[in-house]
Amino acid sequence: MRGAGRVAFSPETLARARELMAAYPAPRAALLPVLRLAQEEFGWISPELEEHVAGLFGLTPAHVHEVVTFYHLLHQKPVGRHVLSVCHTLSCWLMGAEGIIAYLKERLGIEEGETTPDGRVTLLRAECLCACELAPMMEVDDDYVGPLTRERIDEVLERLD
Amino acid sequence: MPTLTIDGREITVEPGCNLIEAARRLGIEVPHYCYHPALTVVGQCRLCMVELEGQGKLQIGCYTRAADGMVVHTRTPKVLETRQAIMEFHLINHPLDCPVCDQSGECWLQIYYMQHGLYEPRMVEDKVRKPKAVPLGPHVILDAERCILCSRCTRFCDEVTGTGELGIFNRGDRSEIGLFPGKVLDNPYSGNVVDICPVGALTDRDFRFRVRVWYLDRTRSVCPGCSRGCNIEIHTNTRRPHQSKGARVARLKPRFNAEVNRWWLCDEGRYGHGFIDAPDRLLDPQLREDGYRPRRWEETLPVLAERLRGYRPEECGALLSPRLPNEELYLARRLFVDTLGWHSDFRVPPRAPGYEDDFLIRADKNPNTRGAELIGLGPGPDRLDTAGMLEAARTGRLRCLWVFGHDLLDSGLPAAEVQAALEALDCLVFQGTNANRTSRLAHLVLPSATYAEKEGTFTNFEGRIQRFWRAVPPLGQSLPDGEILVRVARALGQEWGSRSSEELFRELAGAVPAFAGLTYRELGEQGRLAAVEAALQ
Amino acid sequence: MPPRERLLTRSFELPDSHRLETSRRSGGYEALRKALGMAPAAITEEVRRANLRGLGGAGFGTGMKWGFVPKVTGGKPVYLVVNADEGEPGTFKDRYLLERDPHLVLEGMAITGFAVGARRAFVYIRGEYVRPYRILAGAIEEAARANLLGPNILGSGFDFEITLHRGAGAYICGEETGLLESLEGKKGWPRLKPPFPAVVGAFGCPTVINNVETLALVPRIIARGAEWFAGLGTGTQGGTRIYSVSGHVRRPGPYELPVSATLRELIEEAGGVRDGHRLKAVVPGGSSAAILTAEEIDCTLDVDGLKAAGSMAGSAGVMVMDETTCIVEALYVVARFYAHESCGQCTPCRESTGWIYRVVGRILQGKGRPEDPDQILDIARKGLGTTICAFYDGAVGPYLSYIEKFRPEFDHHIRTGGCDVQPGRVPVLTGH
Repeated sequence: MRGAGRVAFSPETLARARELMAAYPAPRAALLPVLRLAQEEFGWISPELEEHVAGLFGLTPAHVHEVVTFYHLLHQKPVGRHVLSVCHTLSCWLMGAEGIIAYLKERLGIEEGETTPDGRVTLLRAECLCACELAPMMEVDDDYVGPLTRERIDEVLERLD
Repeated sequence: MPTLTIDGREITVEPGCNLIEAARRLGIEVPHYCYHPALTVVGQCRLCMVELEGQGKLQIGCYTRAADGMVVHTRTPKVLETRQAIMEFHLINHPLDCPVCDQSGECWLQIYYMQHGLYEPRMVEDKVRKPKAVPLGPHVILDAERCILCSRCTRFCDEVTGTGELGIFNRGDRSEIGLFPGKVLDNPYSGNVVDICPVGALTDRDFRFRVRVWYLDRTRSVCPGCSRGCNIEIHTNTRRPHQSKGARVARLKPRFNAEVNRWWLCDEGRYGHGFIDAPDRLLDPQLREDGYRPRRWEETLPVLAERLRGYRPEECGALLSPRLPNEELYLARRLFVDTLGWHSDFRVPPRAPGYEDDFLIRADKNPNTRGAELIGLGPGPDRLDTAGMLEAARTGRLRCLWVFGHDLLDSGLPAAEVQAALEALDCLVFQGTNANRTSRLAHLVLPSATYAEKEGTFTNFEGRIQRFWRAVPPLGQSLPDGEILVRVARALGQEWGSRSSEELFRELAGAVPAFAGLTYRELGEQGRLAAVEAALQ
Repeated sequence: MPPRERLLTRSFELPDSHRLETSRRSGGYEALRKALGMAPAAITEEVRRANLRGLGGAGFGTGMKWGFVPKVTGGKPVYLVVNADEGEPGTFKDRYLLERDPHLVLEGMAITGFAVGARRAFVYIRGEYVRPYRILAGAIEEAARANLLGPNILGSGFDFEITLHRGAGAYICGEETGLLESLEGKKGWPRLKPPFPAVVGAFGCPTVINNVETLALVPRIIARGAEWFAGLGTGTQGGTRIYSVSGHVRRPGPYELPVSATLRELIEEAGGVRDGHRLKAVVPGGSSAAILTAEEIDCTLDVDGLKAAGSMAGSAGVMVMDETTCIVEALYVVARFYAHESCGQCTPCRESTGWIYRVVGRILQGKGRPEDPDQILDIARKGLGTTICAFYDGAVGPYLSYIEKFRPEFDHHIRTGGCDVQPGRVPVLTGH
């Protein structure tokens, strides 16, 4: 039993979820959009949240868990207020992505996959974000930023609360 | 009806038949992991690839339907090379667990490697590590490293039981079978995933580390757990008794029967064999009057006969068991009803209604209720039923009661009344396999053999009569119930000869209309419907 | 030399190019108006004769694909699914189209829907594309308000509703049937084929799936006709396309050229190799395309031209590598991509993408064995043609070509434990 920590959508999120489920020819198609909603509300997708979503869709929790573990953008543990996804695939690598990642690790004091102790920034490696003309680049929350230099990185980090 | 050629041999099949099935009918085995006739086709393992004339790329046999004029080759150099490559891919991350893996000896990686692999291993990288020895539920344990991700188990839980406990998480070679955190694999058919898992990823907790499978003997039988009569195999270990602590029955496996249980067996039936080798097995004839010391049959039956001669028929009752096979119930009718004229019944209400579902499990937890009905062992106009017999016992009108296996004190009958009835009896005879509260009150205890220790037939709830065979000899001095009845009859002065089960069945078929026209040969290994039921079909 | 035709990029530099107003001023939605007055079959025929080929990666004839939709669907609706799950390394053309000329894409979608009988479209856009998603959503709203989308477009009786569906980070969802599975709310595991999406696609219904850029060309074909479009290209592929050029070039970015242009011309268009360096190799069609050496860049950029050159037009993601590039490490980076993105459904791909990644990693660590390169070639060749989808075929492109064309580099790493391209460089290995 989960007890007092039981997780459920806010009424607004629930209403939006039901709208989405009705918008597709089959309700299950709304699973990815609803998981995204869940992540927007809670920051990450816990097993409790998966179970809640499973109940909404009439799926077993195992099947929701399959989906959550399959997709890179669905976080299974808490992330910082800001997520930096640094591309490390071919063109970005050609243009110095490893140096960028090393610099970010140094500035933030964390390894890739980790979050700064103050909960501000999570640093992730990402596969091709399809912004190769901006290489080396990263996605900072919703924005693509590149070409990156140490100076540009410093600027970006400054702006993050 | 398409006609196609496989490896030069022609065959006609029904529309929709896939190439693995078509080849199988020609005796050609196309190796495969993920394909299973009961489950949707997923084409994931890629091992069943075959060559089709006119197609450059090999095609998977499981997903390709036979078409008229198709020409299939299952052993060209290209097919063999591809199979070898697919075997290699399956094995590169597989842990070298054979020495400690229960699946050894019946593992399809081993079997197919020896048939289709035999290459020089060349993978020297670190293998992917995953969780090992993870109990998934009361019966099944997972080793995720051994898993080849064929998805048979996930499809079983989705499509057959509809319970969806298992999933494949993550991506790529980090993919892993598992449960949702905190959940348990405890549907009533969980043990079937062990059968269908081709490797040692899912194994039986009950069977873990017990005995190597190559020491097992296999005997065809029928599960006595309920009136469905699922076909099973009893796997016994008599060659290495020091393993598995002397238990002869190592495990039960389902046996395919298209009309009864198909490929499946419920957990209760599958794991319900413990009583056969349990310490509470009755091994010797016993008399209460000499402190239940072990006796021999020759010194006990005369005592029994002597006691029985002191009663009139209306003072005696036989409480037969719907766990007895048809042959022995027939003998019981001949003795107790036709010859001795006793009261008789076979029904004892259970303590609580049995669990039933819309799949295999039936509420009646006896394998031969229908047989007992058809053979005519129920109460009649002058014959008391179970409750009547016990009432009569309580009031002293019934002085002798012969109980076959039931524990009347653990039933739906009020315990206090049962206790009073049993204590009031002059002669309580208990004939059964395992001790219970009723046997401990008996004046005479006659040890009988379990279903695994004799052969015979059961009639399932649909009227299907199915044979079962003897897996191991009776323990101790126990004897098949039928043999005991023959000896009792002789002790009572009847000239009864010992007959084989087959001979008895022939007699039964002649005497009981429902069994008319049937012989053991007719029944074969998959059973036949009784005449009266067959007429209703 | 006649002035370059810009079919796709002509509005890219205009301010507010994503607005309906801007689009209209450049003739936006005129082709839709024209198409709505044509017979749907005639539109398909026009597209077929134009030799438009799919620009997402497979290069399949677009008109032919539309023709696979059954004439009789037994009451099932036909759907249009737009593959905006751009993910092939080296490619960013769809992103530019969505951000800079979304109305061209929407117009193409509507014409296509009309041609194939689809009244509903789903745009599957990769989850990482946030800005393009917002811009596209805004464009859809604008167009709907102007009766260019939605019910009864321009009074024609044709209804066309668009649903935007965001992905969640998986390259395999760019594979047609992987996309459909993901759209339906499952893992993006590609399906067994047949049936093909045209017969059984989204939600069990006949579905046409097209790439963003492919659809963006449809209005141009309708506006100026199949002959004109076909004539811009080669005998087997018509029109222009956007090449995404990146890597060691002076001016990385999107470049629109006719498909009859050569790779050399394209690289020059992008300013050539960066100052002070010389060309070593080019990947011409996204990472799944076989690498070409500096001597192999005179091929034409159309589907058949690149095929003849031993590579692939694919998604037209052109990655340029100069002499500073260690090909062994490049293969490591690419092998890592395929190992991470393999969906895991079928055994050969799941196991061997991880295996090869680890072997290349070991070579890069200085612990390679002489038999390793041949082993990789053997593994790759043995897996080819055995998988459920073409993802593995894409992985095999680099596995084979990098080793076959740059074998001495691999041998050097194995023999000496180090790199002769960048001596002293310590590669960053990211483990599994």
